[in-house]
Amino acid sequence: MNARSSAAAGSSFAASGTGVAAIGDAWNRFWFTPADSRPLSLVRIGAAAIALAAWWSYAADLQAWFGPAGVLPADTMREWRSPYGFSLFDWAATPVALTVLFTATGVVFALLLVGVATPVVAPLAALLWASLLHRGPMLAGPADDCLSILLWCLAIGPAGEHVSFDSWLGWRANRSAPAAGWRASISQGLLQVHATAIAVAAVLAQLKGDVWWNGLAAWYLATGPRSGAASLVPLMARSEYLTNLLTHGITVFEILFAIGLWCSPTQQLVARIGLLGWPLVGLLAGEPIWGLAMALFALPLAVRR
Amino acid sequence: MNTPPDAKTPSPVTQTAVTVALSIYLVGLVLSIVGNTGSGSSAVVRTIKSRLFSPWMVPPWLDLGFDYRLTYGSDEDGDFSVEVRRQGDAKAPAMRLPGRLTGERAARWRRLAWSIAVEDTDRDGLLAAAVGRGMFDDVGAEDVTVRVLRAPLVDRGGPPTVPVQASSARVRMVGGELQLIRAEPRGEVAPLVRPDAGSDTGDRAAADAVEAPR
Repeated sequence: MNARSSAAAGSSFAASGTGVAAIGDAWNRFWFTPADSRPLSLVRIGAAAIALAAWWSYAADLQAWFGPAGVLPADTMREWRSPYGFSLFDWAATPVALTVLFTATGVVFALLLVGVATPVVAPLAALLWASLLHRGPMLAGPADDCLSILLWCLAIGPAGEHVSFDSWLGWRANRSAPAAGWRASISQGLLQVHATAIAVAAVLAQLKGDVWWNGLAAWYLATGPRSGAASLVPLMARSEYLTNLLTHGITVFEILFAIGLWCSPTQQLVARIGLLGWPLVGLLAGEPIWGLAMALFALPLAVRR
Repeated sequence: MNTPPDAKTPSPVTQTAVTVALSIYLVGLVLSIVGNTGSGSSAVVRTIKSRLFSPWMVPPWLDLGFDYRLTYGSDEDGDFSVEVRRQGDAKAPAMRLPGRLTGERAARWRRLAWSIAVEDTDRDGLLAAAVGRGMFDDVGAEDVTVRVLRAPLVDRGGPPTVPVQASSARVRMVGGELQLIRAEPRGEVAPLVRPDAGSDTGDRAAADAVEAPR
């Protein structure tokens, strides 16, 4: 039984009433059993690729939004956002400074993708991404939120130990292969916790709306301006049942995903279904990058041996 | 714990410190979800979160509700766009965004338009004013109208819809000072009854009764 399965088993053991010690053991097994960091390296590559795509979506309008004569001046954003909000981009007061900082952010994401100096680059990427989002909070969407979580999880764990420039350097220097470690376990545990939290929060939010009960939500998603499922619209127009099935399918998928990740017999299967399911939901909802980011949360459990 | 011989395990002190940190973060995560729902949050959750957790969860962009409803089929889920044109000149070319842009870039403009129409009302039109001012040069005037248009969702089996105005504001620079004049939606009003314009049998008391609620 692997660490996460043990944790799930440990959790149910504790629930049966054996006490605080059992809960403590389950906690320690879940968070501190050394784990292989290969899955984390795959998450790093995926998250960095998504980060580059999201970063690029700011590029063309950077000056129009954040420039000195832009529509979202720094002083207005300070009034708009939370008083605790903080952005390095606030200090980029000239077009040149803004361009330099923005380009540096892209370079950091590229370095993260390749895996150069990952222990430094990963937290820097998370910090710069949060800064960019705080510069214009109303421009941020679900994918940006999830990306922020992914980047901070990568900052905690050893995300550059495999499939990276860092590992290539280690191989050239004849260093021994990285051992399993507890930081990888914490990082992957946080990914699992957030995958569940996001799915649960999304389901709870959706079920407050009538369209998720009367089965029409999929119609409104597919006919939205960004939906990648326009080809389904004629079919859905003909068949209400299809519309209903898609709507209820999304809800059931999200519920099963949130629960299934914590049951050892279904864990890997559910995670693998998530790899396909989340991008499809994202495509239908017109949030393809969000769908991909959600799939990344499931990746470590899906590929674990 | 069955661990490989070369596995890296934490010392007890590290394990304790990490456990404390994780516990605090997980409480913060739960409070963020509970405190950032579309339904609002209770005063106790709001207070605990804002005093103890927001100061360190907001800066790294971790104070998130994740309430991704995707759609409720409501007005707010329509397609929003922002239009800026010279005030009082319907024939003047207008800046329309996202216009023909696509992908995530267009989505960001849509979110900005949505924020102007939905969230800006609580913030004294801060965004509308900023967007209007930022587009003075593009429009070639210092007196512009910032309109947000919403394309209503198409009901299943229903006819195609045309965009409707979700909000409108006039933004102008007067004497170096930025002014925002919001166009309030025209509501239904009762007919004005003036005592001195009544008929010969005008009833002063009735007129007062009409005007009294003001």
